[in-house]
Amino acid sequence: MKNLIKDLMRSKAGLIGAILLLLIVFVAVFAPFLDLPDPTRGDLRARLAGPTWDGLFSPGAHPLGTDEVGRDILSRMIHGSRVTLLVATTAVVLGGIVGTALGIWAGYKGGLVDRVLMRLVDIQLAIPLMLLALLVVAALGPSLRNVVLVLALTSWIRYARIIRAQVLSLREREFVQSAHAIGASTMRIMFFHILPNVLTPALVVGTLELARIIIMDSALSFLGLGVQPPTPSWGRMLADGRVYISSAWWTVTFPGLAIVLTVLSVNLFGDWLRDYFDPKTRNKK
Amino acid sequence: MTQPNVLEAKNLMRSFGGGTGFFDRNKPVIHAINGVSFEIAEGETLGLVGESGSGKSTIGRAVLQLEKPDSGSVKFRGTELTTLSPPQLKPYRKHMQMIFQDPYSALNPRMKVGNFVAEPLVVHQVESGSALTDRVAELFQTVGLDPSFMSRYPHEFSGGQRQRINIARAIALNPAFIVADEPITALDVSIQAQIVNLFQDLQDQLGLAYLFIAHDLSMVRYLCSRVAVMLRGRIVELAPTEQIFADPRHPYTQSLLAAIPVPDPDRKHRPRIPFNVARNIPPRDAPMIEVSPGHYVLDQEIQ
Ligand SMILES: Nc1ncnc2c1ncn2[C@@H]1O[C@H](COP(=O)(O)OP(=O)(O)O)[C@@H](O)[C@H]1O
Ligand SMILES: [Mg+2]
Repeated sequence: MKNLIKDLMRSKAGLIGAILLLLIVFVAVFAPFLDLPDPTRGDLRARLAGPTWDGLFSPGAHPLGTDEVGRDILSRMIHGSRVTLLVATTAVVLGGIVGTALGIWAGYKGGLVDRVLMRLVDIQLAIPLMLLALLVVAALGPSLRNVVLVLALTSWIRYARIIRAQVLSLREREFVQSAHAIGASTMRIMFFHILPNVLTPALVVGTLELARIIIMDSALSFLGLGVQPPTPSWGRMLADGRVYISSAWWTVTFPGLAIVLTVLSVNLFGDWLRDYFDPKTRNKK
Repeated sequence: MTQPNVLEAKNLMRSFGGGTGFFDRNKPVIHAINGVSFEIAEGETLGLVGESGSGKSTIGRAVLQLEKPDSGSVKFRGTELTTLSPPQLKPYRKHMQMIFQDPYSALNPRMKVGNFVAEPLVVHQVESGSALTDRVAELFQTVGLDPSFMSRYPHEFSGGQRQRINIARAIALNPAFIVADEPITALDVSIQAQIVNLFQDLQDQLGLAYLFIAHDLSMVRYLCSRVAVMLRGRIVELAPTEQIFADPRHPYTQSLLAAIPVPDPDRKHRPRIPFNVARNIPPRDAPMIEVSPGHYVLDQEIQ
């Protein structure tokens, strides 16, 4: 842990990513305690008001402007981040658990499970993920739960492929043979000897997936298939604001910036994490 | 020397490659072991010596049923093991263990070494709770490690210490028989003798039988009562250790003996005996003949 932090301090990109990410998460978590205007209530007298720093701390100030029905953009962005982060992390964790479990099973046991899994991977790789997500959400109907399920569905295979490859080499290691030699059951070997040794790659895949899923979640809500109004979401804000892009640039710029910054910080952090755990790049330092 | 046999292996065969699929059809078949027979008495050490790739590890895995042989028989105290299912094998796994060549790859990097040593006791439900901890501490002491190391992870240990941890795990269930697959090859020369001594002490204390695998004859001399010399998947000579050293019959055994470094300066200029392994594949059906009591040689080109 100490090494981890020391190494992070040395990596400029990783540190920036980590700080940004912490900031975003912090704001999202504590949004209810910030004195923000109601993100769902509009003020028609103040519709499409531009960003202004005048009277920043007075009630009714809109530092990042308002949208077409006069709702505060800053407040909607912050509340939108709560939904996006919640959806994305749940999907990443869900996809991670399923993908890791199946990857371990396929890699260690081989046989039918492995063959079926690999065919599924081939099929999913051939279908654009966005199309798959659209189909499923359209079929199940848009809701918070369905969006999470769909995003996890597009994600588990990435874990499964990488974990399976790791397991193929792990199971030839002598400590796995040794567990076999003492009479340990397959379940025991998978749980105590394989799983702890694939957690690191799973974590690395997880951060990279988080970035991809945030984008995909925004795209889904942009298309109206994400969480439903009046709950604010970044993608929805982009979709609603794009009509006014020439007259009220702030309606799309700030939510767009939020997506870019979040994805960027996750990616910066994830890249550093991957390098940190990859012995090949690590030893060069 | 009239102990009953703890282990009997008869006519073991195992080959790799030569797939039946579209892409691997033309892969050559490797006969990793090609008709190998030996037996080991209770409390005895049989040395198994041969160059890398001669099939020693494959024999070790086949004997312990980690990898089923293609054919042949393995009997533990008279029970045929090759026909048993994994659940039927489990009780026998208590009595047979393996120690691996690479002490780095043999430990789970994500498991505390105390839990690693305790695992066989947990799997076979021999001990639990504080009795388990006490037993593991005792095992650490037996192999010459401080019991306070129990809660550490493998990366904190040296090669020799790791091999001691592996040995502690292997003896946890008081086995009758251990396959030690080149257990000292990867260690510093200064550590090798210590580990060999540990093997000997444990044998005296616990009455263990070993199949001790090595790639040259130097350490085997101190540890083994009999030695089997392997060449390309076959045992070409098997004899009591003194016989192997005093009267080697197979040319490959003679070349192995000539390769042992000699500390005695007068004998420094011993001629090297060249032996072309590639051109001396032991014939598949050549029989072993007994040239003197307990001394068997492959009937090939005895000198
Ligand atoms: N799992 C395997 N797949 C394919 N070939 C193998 C496998 N295990 C061993 N072999 C081959 O069998 C031969 C004997 O190997 P091994 O028993 O490891 O020899 P040793 O332990 O004497 O060095 C070698 O040619 C090796 O390449
Ligand atoms: Mg070997």
